[in-house]
Amino acid sequence: MLWVDKYRPKTLDKVTVHDQVAQNLRKLVSEQDCPHLLFYGPSGSGKKTLILALIKQMFGAGAEKVKMENKTWKIDTGTRTLEIELAMLSSAHHVEMNPSDAGFQDRYVVQEVIKEMAKNRPIDAKGKRAFKVLVLNEVDKLSREAQHSLRRTMEKYSASCRLILCCNSSSKVTEAVRSRCLNVRVNAPSEDQIIQVLEIIGKKENLHLPAGFAARIAAQSNRNLRRAILFFETCKVQQYPFASNQVAPPLDWEQYVSEIATDILTEQSPKRLYAVRQKFYELLVNCIPPESILKKLLTELLKKLDADLKHEICHWAAHYALCMQEHKMRLGSKAIFHLEAFVAKFMSIYKEFLVATFG
Amino acid sequence: MDMDMDMPDPDELEWMESHGLLPEEEEDVYFDDPDEGFVPPHGDSDQPRDSSQPPEPAPPRANEASEGGLKRPPPPPPPEKEEEERSKRRNVEREDSEDEEWLRYSPPPPAPEVVVAEKTISRFASEIHGDCVPVTAPNGERVYAKLAVKGLVGGGINGTRQGAHFSNPNPNHKGLLSESFHSLTRRAEQEALAKALQESTDSLDNEASSATPLVTEKLWVEKYAPNSFTELLSDEHTNREVLLWLKQWDSCVFGSHIRATCDDVLSALRRHSSTIQKNANNKNFFSKSKGGPVDMPLNTPSSNSEGLGGSFSKRSPADNTPEQKVLLLCGPPGLGKTTLAHVAARHCGYHVVEINASDDRSASSIETKILDVVQMNSIMSDSKPKCLVIDEIDGALGDGKGAVEVILKMINAEKSNNSDRSTNAEETQVRKASKKSQRMAKLLRPVICICNDLYAPALRQLRQVAKVHVFVQPTISRVVNRLKYICKNEGFKTSAIALSALAEYTECDIRSCLNTLQFLNKKGVALNISSFDSQVIGQKDKSKSILDVWKQVLQKKKLKRSGKAESHFSKDKDTDSLFTLISNRGDYEVTMDGIHENFLRLSYHDPMLQKTVKCLDILGVSDCLTKYVYRTQQMPLLAYQPPIAITISRMVAQVEKPNIEWPKALQRSRTMLLEKKDMLKTWQTEMSPVVSRHMSVESFVEDIASPFLHILSPLSLRPVALNLLSQREKDELVQLVDTMVSYSVTYRNTKFAPQERANISVVPHDVPSLSLHPPFSDIINFKGYQSEHIDLSLAMKQLLVHEVEKQKIIKYSAGKLNQTNDGDVRSEPLSAIRKKAIADSIAPALHSSKDSSKRNSTTLQMQSNSASSLNGKSPAPAKKHSNRATNFFDRFRKERLVDAKTHSDAGQQGATTQRDSRPLIFKYNEGFTNAVKRPVRVRDLLLS
Repeated sequence: MLWVDKYRPKTLDKVTVHDQVAQNLRKLVSEQDCPHLLFYGPSGSGKKTLILALIKQMFGAGAEKVKMENKTWKIDTGTRTLEIELAMLSSAHHVEMNPSDAGFQDRYVVQEVIKEMAKNRPIDAKGKRAFKVLVLNEVDKLSREAQHSLRRTMEKYSASCRLILCCNSSSKVTEAVRSRCLNVRVNAPSEDQIIQVLEIIGKKENLHLPAGFAARIAAQSNRNLRRAILFFETCKVQQYPFASNQVAPPLDWEQYVSEIATDILTEQSPKRLYAVRQKFYELLVNCIPPESILKKLLTELLKKLDADLKHEICHWAAHYALCMQEHKMRLGSKAIFHLEAFVAKFMSIYKEFLVATFG
Repeated sequence: MDMDMDMPDPDELEWMESHGLLPEEEEDVYFDDPDEGFVPPHGDSDQPRDSSQPPEPAPPRANEASEGGLKRPPPPPPPEKEEEERSKRRNVEREDSEDEEWLRYSPPPPAPEVVVAEKTISRFASEIHGDCVPVTAPNGERVYAKLAVKGLVGGGINGTRQGAHFSNPNPNHKGLLSESFHSLTRRAEQEALAKALQESTDSLDNEASSATPLVTEKLWVEKYAPNSFTELLSDEHTNREVLLWLKQWDSCVFGSHIRATCDDVLSALRRHSSTIQKNANNKNFFSKSKGGPVDMPLNTPSSNSEGLGGSFSKRSPADNTPEQKVLLLCGPPGLGKTTLAHVAARHCGYHVVEINASDDRSASSIETKILDVVQMNSIMSDSKPKCLVIDEIDGALGDGKGAVEVILKMINAEKSNNSDRSTNAEETQVRKASKKSQRMAKLLRPVICICNDLYAPALRQLRQVAKVHVFVQPTISRVVNRLKYICKNEGFKTSAIALSALAEYTECDIRSCLNTLQFLNKKGVALNISSFDSQVIGQKDKSKSILDVWKQVLQKKKLKRSGKAESHFSKDKDTDSLFTLISNRGDYEVTMDGIHENFLRLSYHDPMLQKTVKCLDILGVSDCLTKYVYRTQQMPLLAYQPPIAITISRMVAQVEKPNIEWPKALQRSRTMLLEKKDMLKTWQTEMSPVVSRHMSVESFVEDIASPFLHILSPLSLRPVALNLLSQREKDELVQLVDTMVSYSVTYRNTKFAPQERANISVVPHDVPSLSLHPPFSDIINFKGYQSEHIDLSLAMKQLLVHEVEKQKIIKYSAGKLNQTNDGDVRSEPLSAIRKKAIADSIAPALHSSKDSSKRNSTTLQMQSNSASSLNGKSPAPAKKHSNRATNFFDRFRKERLVDAKTHSDAGQQGATTQRDSRPLIFKYNEGFTNAVKRPVRVRDLLLS
């Protein structure tokens, strides 16, 4: 098992990074009931870990006996019968799923699974929780309709089930849903916290960390704990004992994006744009979310940009990111239009700047 | 009964002609429609179609008229009912020469007369007493008619009932007129015929309109529709091909006794223009083209009884119908496909039955319809064989596909079943019932299908069996000539330039040209060029292929006649035409994709990339718009899509021809994206839930994939035998295998794919390579990107595969064991056992399990106990020999290069002594199969 999974804290007591949040959660569930919860924060900050630890806190070891199944839902919408297949992970006490995988039909899935859970609620409530927990991942990718349908179901079935929602950005969750939940913000861990975690792992693995090594990895990880631990393990696998100046190999897709950035900066023409388009396709095909591409591209471009232009470029990046968000990425994905539009805009501005500066 | 009445009787007609009946009587012949169902006074007036003809004044001629089988619109003086009936009978049964038959029906007085009359016309001259004259019937039949020298005309004038029988050699009928009168009247009659023929040609295709005199002005399109083959505007070659094809049916349809269009005619048809064909045609269907003078096919004395019926009975089994039974005409609207089909079919003597999109075209209804046309022969009004024209067949969707299916079925039936149908001719009544049920009919009549889009999916099958003719645009000059002629006829002033501009504008759509002209004429506006861009002249609502649309958008129109007046408004016109083009196409998403795909490769001038930015911006707008429309179902907003394309066109369109490519990249990227996502998802489900629950596709791709690949291929691992590894290396191997198992990753044999593995240089090319399964390493394989990942050596991979497989089995059996032992704990203990087992298997003699168990948390203590019990160290008898067996199999494994453990390990000796101390020893005899008789579990073997 990778260290990421191996050293994942299983209980709230063992959580090191967000110990304050963990404490509060423990207090929250020490009473019999708990509200609906919404965890949000950047990826790699430990939302999922906290959620699972919380569930274990609530239900004990029984919640760890999970099974994975591909469940097919048959939903009668009145005019036709839909068949939706969705992978879900369930134990006796809770269900985890990612309803946004269902695409258009996500709202049916949400309603159906909640109703089903309400139907077979545990009978012997003595000493145990009288409800089940439904963990919904990537709520921010749910369609608006699904989120709307969620808010009614949340109230209606609150006697039998609790929802734990998990998402990256709470702004994409509708106000109505947010107000029905206890919002838990999970920050990206600070670099110090990451260093701390890496040192703990190093100790457990009997590794000697040279000075500054953990800090370097933490800096490279961009405050993403998952990445940090993976980088750490990569370093260990590649060379141990660690060299004093060892760094983890970069992520491939980020490397590729920086190549694109170099391409853009060297030449600005429709032809180059066409070449860049092909590279974008490569990235998109390999499941890299367009938002991430845009973000990374922007950081790469900003590195080599005159300070005068930075503001404008950021503005446009935000503009096109918004355009991309306008439609849901998972369908069709013509994000390429917007990515390209950004590149074209950048090229135009940059070229103008070059001409103005150097003639 | 009606039907019977309509039987034509050309013989008598001819006879009468030849005998110089009075002109009025002749007309009577043409227009009488004796209908016995009518009461006497107006018995014959049921069909008012022949309004153009004068009413027939002579009552005594009624029976002859009835024999003519023609309709008489104005009420003539009442003919005798009995006579009508009798005459009708005669019509029906004359072939059979069945006298008694009609005798029975007819009243006594006329009967003898008829008998006499019967003798006046015969096929054989010998049957006629006295003088006779040969008469050729309109259908080509030749008979002899007796000359009733004096009495006939007088009878006609007399107006007596007896006089009605021209054949009666009654002395009463001896008139004052001499022979010369015959010739006189005949001449007059022929003139009348010729005149009527002239008139009829105009109204042939439009019987109905001619019937209503109220219509003061017809549409020019109809008025000037080509009536004869020579007038057709469409391409000469196509016309001739169609005619040729129709002619090939002749022998089948019209039978052999009518002289089939012989080869020389056919070849002449190929050679010459249509005048010759017309002659040839007229030879066969003299009566049809000539005998239908007055205005409808109804009055054509036809070949039904003799010609067609005969053809049915006489046809040889192998009727030579053309090879391709169906003719498929295709081409853009307004070029005259339908007209050609109609004209050509009529020209060849068919009665055209048209089925178009307005008819019910479901399979069942179309089938009866086609059967009607193809097998049955109406004896009511028109005995011409029918020719089926299915118009707009490409528009056949859903139910409409029935037509195609039925035709295909019939064609296929024909192929399989080639027997003749000679039985049809006998009974007209029985025919209907019996035949339909007989079998799936053969196609015995020509079927012409007309479509606009040859490649419509509905026509796919038909295309293969049908003879396909693609209409080409007639030359502009030809169209203009025609238009000029029409304009002149209508007194509409115009210029040749304007007309040619009009023709060009409408793309030689004659229909639209004519409609426009008529409209302008009506309005009193002269046609001038400037009116083209006004609203006066509408444009055709046609859709073009998507490639054309892209081309139009990305290619600027050449301003070839910039000198002419057109250029100054060409821009607006372009915009208009682009707009209609795009909106007619409708498929905006694909349109935009295509523009996006192609516009960057145009060489437009854009130093600061502002145009590009603008283009991409509005493409983005279009994308957002599309999504919004789909989400909210506000379809009217789609109307804003064409302007987007037009804007782009304005900015980037170039004069030179763009190299348009289908937007494959976008679609391919979509499908590949879905594939990869699927791959990752299925992989995720294969993983143990403990791992997979923390992983999403995004997080894997963004964060995990690259480091994971590094971790899976550690540099430090040497591809040597396991026992040569140091302790630390073994730990690493254990860790790696464990990782691979829990992420359910393994290596699989793959065929060598050079481009896939181009950046992995370690593997020699001729060796079958092992690659990761699931192939998530592709995820970081970007085109043109050199990743730094190293690949393990083949030996190492093989070792790993082996270990992973082993661990999987152990995991499985341990899981089962766990279930039996203590069902409570599963996931975490499982991994503990696995870990333990890995450690054990790799370093069996070193008993390194202590280390690994130390690493595990204390909660796993019990499980490690159970695992160690599997180790074979406990003195259970079942385990004792399993050690030995393991060794044996291990020896076997070594030969396969994969050997993980060898006996030569120094640490092994401890185990050997342990083994020696055991009482049970199995010996293996080579070639002796039942050496091991005990059932041994694989688990036991592996947990040595």
